[in-house]
Formats: sequence, C-alpha cells, structure tokens
Amino acid sequence: MADALGVTTEQGLNRRLRASFRQWINRRIPPAREVTLDQRRIFIFPSKAGFFFGFCLLVMLVTAINFQNNLGYALTFLLAMLFMVAILHTFANLSGLTIRALRARPAFPGQQTEFDLMIERGRQRDHFGLHLMWPGSSEALVNLVDEDTVTVQLHMAVDQRGWYSPGRLLLESSYPLGLLRCWTWVDLELHALVYPRPLASADLPGLATDTPDGAAVTVTGSDDFYGFRDYHKGDSPRHIHWKGVAKGQGVQSKQYTAYADRSVWLDWDMFPGLGTEQRLSHLCYWALEFESRNQEYGLRMPAVVIEPHMGDRHRDRVLRELALYGMEGQA
Amino acid sequence: MKLQQQVPRNALVWIIISMFALVAPHALRLPPWVLLVYVVAVIWRILVYRGRWSFPGRSVKLILIFSSFIGVYVSYGTLVGLEPMVALLLTAFAFKLIELSRRNDAYVLLFLGYFVCITEFLFSQDLLITLYSMLNVVLVTTALVALHQPGEHQFNRGSIRLAGVMLAQALPLMVVIFFLFPRIDPLWTVPVNNHMAKTGMSDFMKPGDVAKLSQSADVALRVKFDGDIPPVSALYWRGLVFSRMQQGAWSALDYYDVPVKQQRPREMRTSGDALEYTVIMEPSWQNWLYGLHYARATTPGVRHTADYRLSTLSPLETEYMYRVRSWTQAQAEPGLSQWRREIETRLPPGSNPRTRQLAQEMKALTETDQQFIDAVLNKFSTQDYVYTLQPGSLSELHAMDEFLFESRRGFCEHYASAFTVMMRAAGVPARVVAGYLGGEINPVNRTVIVHQFDAHAWAEVWLQGQGWVRVDPTAAVSPERIEWGLEAAMQAEGSFLSEAPLSALRYRNIPFLNLLRLRYDALTYRWQSWIVGFNSERQLNLLRDIFGEINTRVIATVLLGSWVLVLVPVSISLFRKRATRQVSRPDRFYLKFCERLARLGLVRSAGETPGQFFLRAEAALPAYAGQMRDITSLYNQLAYAGTADGEGADASTLDTFSRAVKRFRPSR
Repeated sequence: MADALGVTTEQGLNRRLRASFRQWINRRIPPAREVTLDQRRIFIFPSKAGFFFGFCLLVMLVTAINFQNNLGYALTFLLAMLFMVAILHTFANLSGLTIRALRARPAFPGQQTEFDLMIERGRQRDHFGLHLMWPGSSEALVNLVDEDTVTVQLHMAVDQRGWYSPGRLLLESSYPLGLLRCWTWVDLELHALVYPRPLASADLPGLATDTPDGAAVTVTGSDDFYGFRDYHKGDSPRHIHWKGVAKGQGVQSKQYTAYADRSVWLDWDMFPGLGTEQRLSHLCYWALEFESRNQEYGLRMPAVVIEPHMGDRHRDRVLRELALYGMEGQA
Repeated sequence: MKLQQQVPRNALVWIIISMFALVAPHALRLPPWVLLVYVVAVIWRILVYRGRWSFPGRSVKLILIFSSFIGVYVSYGTLVGLEPMVALLLTAFAFKLIELSRRNDAYVLLFLGYFVCITEFLFSQDLLITLYSMLNVVLVTTALVALHQPGEHQFNRGSIRLAGVMLAQALPLMVVIFFLFPRIDPLWTVPVNNHMAKTGMSDFMKPGDVAKLSQSADVALRVKFDGDIPPVSALYWRGLVFSRMQQGAWSALDYYDVPVKQQRPREMRTSGDALEYTVIMEPSWQNWLYGLHYARATTPGVRHTADYRLSTLSPLETEYMYRVRSWTQAQAEPGLSQWRREIETRLPPGSNPRTRQLAQEMKALTETDQQFIDAVLNKFSTQDYVYTLQPGSLSELHAMDEFLFESRRGFCEHYASAFTVMMRAAGVPARVVAGYLGGEINPVNRTVIVHQFDAHAWAEVWLQGQGWVRVDPTAAVSPERIEWGLEAAMQAEGSFLSEAPLSALRYRNIPFLNLLRLRYDALTYRWQSWIVGFNSERQLNLLRDIFGEINTRVIATVLLGSWVLVLVPVSISLFRKRATRQVSRPDRFYLKFCERLARLGLVRSAGETPGQFFLRAEAALPAYAGQMRDITSLYNQLAYAGTADGEGADASTLDTFSRAVKRFRPSR
C-alpha cells in the first residue's frame, strides 16, 4: 500500500516537474514556425566525453605534480584552456541558425509521417554535425558548409487519428571537440494530419439498396463522354483534353455523364450501430476505393457536407474531414 | 549504430597520423615489438575499414592484452617503473585503434593520446621535444575536430586549421595559469626510471671508465655565473668522491657507511667573496650534483655530504636547476677524524705490491708529504707515461702495478688512481675525485657548457694545516688537457669524439654551424631556466616582482583579466555578423580570375559576359590567350551545365577549372 502510494506520488511529482519544465521552456522559447537560435535559446553543458576529458586532465595534473614536471603542468593547463575556448566554439556552431518548419505530410496510422524542416545559417561560417530529432523520430545529421540552407526530413510513426504534434524538436551538436554538448528544444508548431485507419467493409450498405449491382457497375459507366469544361484544380490529369492543350485551346477537362449520374454519397448513416471510429474507418476505406476507381463521391456527416467530386484535392479534403471529425477543439 | 557515433573516414586518417606522431619520440626507448604492434594495428584497422577483416572478438582482445603484459615483462623484467608503464600505455594505445568503431572509442583513444604526450615530458623537457609535442597536441586535437565533421569521406587537410586556431587561443590563457598555479610537493612517490641508461659518471669507477665517457658529446650541465667566469682551467666540478678501493675499482661511500656523527659536513671557515652561479643539469638518473670546491647550495632540497659534495634525495629524471655559492679558497676539514683517516688510507690487502713498495721507497727519500707528492708527479711527467683515450685494458687485482710498470698508457682516472694508491701506500690520506674539468664558454649568453667529454678524475690529499688539497696528476702528464681541454690534448692521437661522427661539436671549425649550435644552446639554457626550472621559489619571486604583494584578490584579478582579454576578442570573431555569401564554387574561382586581370588594369564591366570579357582580355594580353580561353570555356561549361551551385557539374571539370585558375598568373 505504502509502495503504491509512493509510486503514485512519484509519478505525480514527475508530472508536475514535467509540466513546470514545459511552462518554463514555453516562456523561454515560445512555439513558432521559425526560430533563430541565440543565447536565450541555446543550452550548453559538458558532454559525457567532456567529463571524461576532465577526469583525464585530473590524472595529468596529478602526474605533473608527482613528477614535478613543468611541461606536464603546461600541457594540462593548455588542454584545460582548450576546454574553455571550446565552450565558445561549440556555442557558435548553433548560434545564428534559423530552423524553419516547412511542412508535415499527412499519413495513415501505422505509417511514417514526414516532417520537412529547413536550417539556414545566419553568418558565413561552417556548421558541422547538426543532429536533429524528435523523441521517437528518425534522426538526421547535417552540415552547413558550402550552402547556406539545408532541408531535413524526419520520419515518425503515427497511430492516432487527428492532428499529431511531435512536441519539441531537439537540435544538438558537439562540434568541434565533443567536450561540450550544445542543444535546444524548439516547438516549430508542426502538426501532421493522421487519417483514420482504412477499414474494409463487405459492401456499402446504403448504396446497395439503390443500385442492385453495387459499386462495381458504376465503374464501367465512366466512358460516356459528355463534353468539355474549363479545368478546375483537382481534376484528374487523365481527364485533361491534352490534344486541346497542344493546339493552344487552353486547359480543358473532359466530362463524363456517368459521374454526375452515378456519383456516390458516403453517408455517416450508412453504418448504423457502429462506433464513431469504426464508421470513420469504413468511410475512409470507401473514399480511397472510389478515388482509385475514378468515381465521384461525396461525404455527408453530421455538420459536414462535401459535394461529390474526385481528384487528389477532393480526396485530401474528404480525408481531412474524416481525420478531424469531432476534434475541432484540438487543431 | 546511431548517426553521431559513426567515425568519419577523415577522422580515422587523422587518428592514425597522430598515433604515429605520438609514438615516434618514444620509439628509441621502446622494445622493437611495440612498434610492430603499431604497424599491425594500423593494417588491421584499415582492413576492417575496407571490409576485408573484422573487429577483434572478446577472446582475441583478452589474448592481445595478456600477451602485451607478458611482452613488457619479458622486455623489462618488471611491470613496475616508468618505462614499462609507458610501454604498456603505448601498447594499449595501439590496441585501442584495432577496436575503434564508435565515436566513444575514439574519445578514449585520443584522450589517451594527450596522456602519451605528457609521458614524453617525463623523459625529456628539451626545447625540440616540447615543440614536437606541441605539434602532437595539434594533431590529436585535429583528429578530435575531424571526428565531429560527419560526411567527410576524404582526407581533409583543412581540419587542422580549426584545431590550430583553438589551441592558439588557449595558449595565452595557459601561460597565465602556468605562472600562477601553486607548485605543490608530490602527492605520493612515483616510479623511477630504473631502466633508463644512466649517463655521465657512475658511482663506481675502474680504469677506462672515464675514457669511455669522454667519447660522448652530450651536454652534462650548463652553468651561469653571476659575475665573471673564472679561468676554465680552474673549473673542477666535483661530483663524486671515491674513498674505497675494492677489486681494482673505486667506489663512493654510502651515506650510511659514515658514522652518524660525521654524516653532516663540518662547517668551514669561509672568507672572501663567494662565486655565485646557477647550474642546470641534464637528466643523469643519478642523485649527485656538481659544484666547485667548497660548494653550498641555496636551493632547498639539496643535501650536503661529509665529503663536501651536493646531492639530491632522488635521481634526476629531468633537467634540474640549482643555485650554488662556492668559496674556492676555503680549507676543507682541517682536522681529520680517526675514522676518516683510517678510511682514506685503506687499500685492499695484497693488491698492487710493486706500487706499494715503490711508494714506500719514495716516501722514505722525502721529508714532507708535499715533497713526496711532488716526487710522484715528477715521476709521471719525466718518465715515458702517455696520456691517451685508448689506454687498453688492465687486470683486476694488480691494475696499478700493470699500469705503472708495464703499459704506462692511461687516461686521467689511471693517473688519479695510481697517485692515490701511492699516497695511501705511504700513509698519506688521499682519495679520487670524479667530475668534470673546464667547459665551453658560450659567447652568446656567457654560460659554461660542460660536456660529457669534459669528464675528469683527479685526487685530493689531506695535508696537515691545509686540509684536503686538490692534486691533479693529469696536469703532470698532459698540461694541455688542463689548459686547453681534451680536444687539444688528443690532437696528435685524433681520437677526440671519434665515436660520435654526427655530433655538432665536431663541426666547430665551420663558423656558421658553430654559431648556430651555440645560439641553440643559449636558447636551451633560457628554456631550461625559465620553464623547466620554474619552481615555487622562482614563482614567488616572479609574482612579487610583477605584482608586489600576492594575495587571492591579485591572482583572481589577473586570471579573470586574462580570460576577458582573450575570450572577448575570440567571441567577437566567432559571433560577428558576417553576411552569408551565396557564391558558388565556379563563380568564386571565376571571380578570382577576374581579380587577377583587374590587377593588370583589365576590369570586367557589369554587363560583360565571360565571352566578351575574354575577347577584350585576349586583345590586351595575347600571351595568355590560351590559358584565358580555357578558363572561360570551362567556366561556361560549369555555369550552364549543372545547377547554379555547381553541384550537378562534373567534379573533374570543376577540378580542372580550379587548377587552371590557380595556375593563371598573368603579368604585363
């Protein structure tokens, strides 16, 4: 009983410490899409190797004392002062860098999302061994020598629908000597969208009652050419009237009658009796399915209606609504 | 493996370079197999790098470590002592390279490298060794820098720049701490270099030993007199007093051979001004010091013995500096104790019967001890005795009989020994004194350089009313030796330094080389007196001279002041806002090309294309048309073939281009 109590108070203390650290660091390095590193934002402390170096210096000092060796003293002091100078050089390796959030790729649960960052140097000097990672993400090690900017991709596995926030990014380096570690924790306000996990269902229940053949029939109907209309963003490239483009008539999309007629509504009420997450998973599956069949589909959910359409932009819009269903407060 | 733990190829090359640089000065002291270990280690590591071999397993490592212990034990006969320990350290250093796979291994290896640097100083604090070690520190630091430059897959000479810059910034701070840091007494006793070949005089001398020593051109000691330098022929540097003769060899009395009451030297009546001088001894691995008669050392820690010698408690492993005052006219031990008289007249029973008989006969013919001495010296100078560096060997027990009556060829120790034996045979207290005679005066800084070939042996005789009197039998045989030195004495024989053909001293007749040698020696003296000989006493004097009063506030101010003075400019240079340049490499070289032409008055105007500029330049400088055409066409290729930063361009084209620009040095 006492043990259990001890654990819980320890956990509580831990949580409180963590919370106050978060508060403190949020004040010190406020979240921003772009952070330029300066004295306020860089932390520096001897690394493990630095402590080992200190121990070696102690041994060398004792050697110099015991052998009454003046050059031994000189070498020991030279290395100790090298350590001092290294503080400035290590610090300079991070100082003046700007970290910029570029984008985060949406991903399905179980996949890796990709965060794109850019590092830019503020002064003309070589930066080496910049090590970046989020807790749990892949790591990257980059230099800034010949170029002034470098883009970095970091991958991280995600599994929860909604916005995924990777937390604070760790940027560290121990260049040039490894005796000191210089680091910063920056919140780049990068959030990756995680879609619902696609979950197949045998058929589309609501749809099956309207057309006896189900979804399979609708695919073949997409041949009936109807006419042209001006290209809209999001139209499939396969439907662009390329010959017309070549003749200089402007970009037009071919229109097929079957779409308008046989477009599908993915409806929240198609899956009665199922839980929210499962419904979203099924809707997600069918949205992807229709997209791959080049069939227009719309989405009807509580408080959300997306008119039937198709193409990458449409798909992303639908998936986004599915991903964020019921999570408005969090984004 | 984590990305940061990877060891870049560039770092590996620097590590190997620094390892060989570190072991080089130790090489002569190490058993040859240790050097073989280094070669094997490097080959092994390179094969691992190429994927042709693998890292050693645990059992292989254990075998290697165990066999290195055995190897060191076999080579030195022990594992204790400085030399075996350094050998072990250096072997471990090589093994660490074989298993070097992660950055953490490299830290261990390189920090060990710094420690190897310090062990070199335990053997020598020579100026050249110091400069070389400084280079080693730069190399190890460079390897450390290269270790943190990921993605350097080619050997990059440029890594050394930053290491050099950082060490240069640390250097002035080091100097301040060096002079401020309190010098503490040793915390515990440390292993002695008992395997080091002892140099100079030994405390055991048989005929032929000094002659052997005289083949060496090494420096034994350097002396700086506060006033004028006395005549060189009067500089008898007393080091050892041989009072005991056993089996044909002379040896010194141990401290504990002397009765307790007589262990301390009796104070002498001193009169007149003393000679004051500073001596810096090269490491001798012995514990006696040298001084002119009657010497009192003012340096703490120097012992004075009953026979008026100076010594230290432990053997000199590095250069040692001490201050001495000498009263050359003082009478030594005017009253001789019974024990001392007995010791100083004793001869091994039954040895050298002919010499003894001769001595007793000669003594009977003279009235005073002084007359007897003169008679013996007269015998040496008038009969056909030869002063030579090649005396030949003598038998053990009756060596003096053999020398006096048969070979008649001897070096200083033969004459000193024969003289002393004759004195003792006649009942006159006498002993052999060994040390150095004379020295070379360095005109650059007025120091006296005493070389090993200045080694000398003479005698001291105790005379009633005068105490111990110095008698140099060599002077009777070869006055040139005393007056002009060994080289002059051996001119006819040509044996001077015949076994040291490379010694700089042999080229004394070339003025330029000789001046160079003397200048370097003066530099060495300064180095030794300032850095090597720096101790708590000098520290106190120095700080008093500069700051007047010494307290913690003064020291803290100086320390912090030096840090501000150095670190603030360093920070400014590091954090100064320098605009980033977005100039690609081809552009940078092309601009250099334009700059060189601009120096000759050919300035490229703003809108001019490289092609147009070339046509104009060709007209102005037809002699360089070919080079300029190449450069322009290569630049056009690079600028329009790849991306703007030259990344996509062919690396070899860029290389050709950069070399073409570097070669391009136009002149009118």
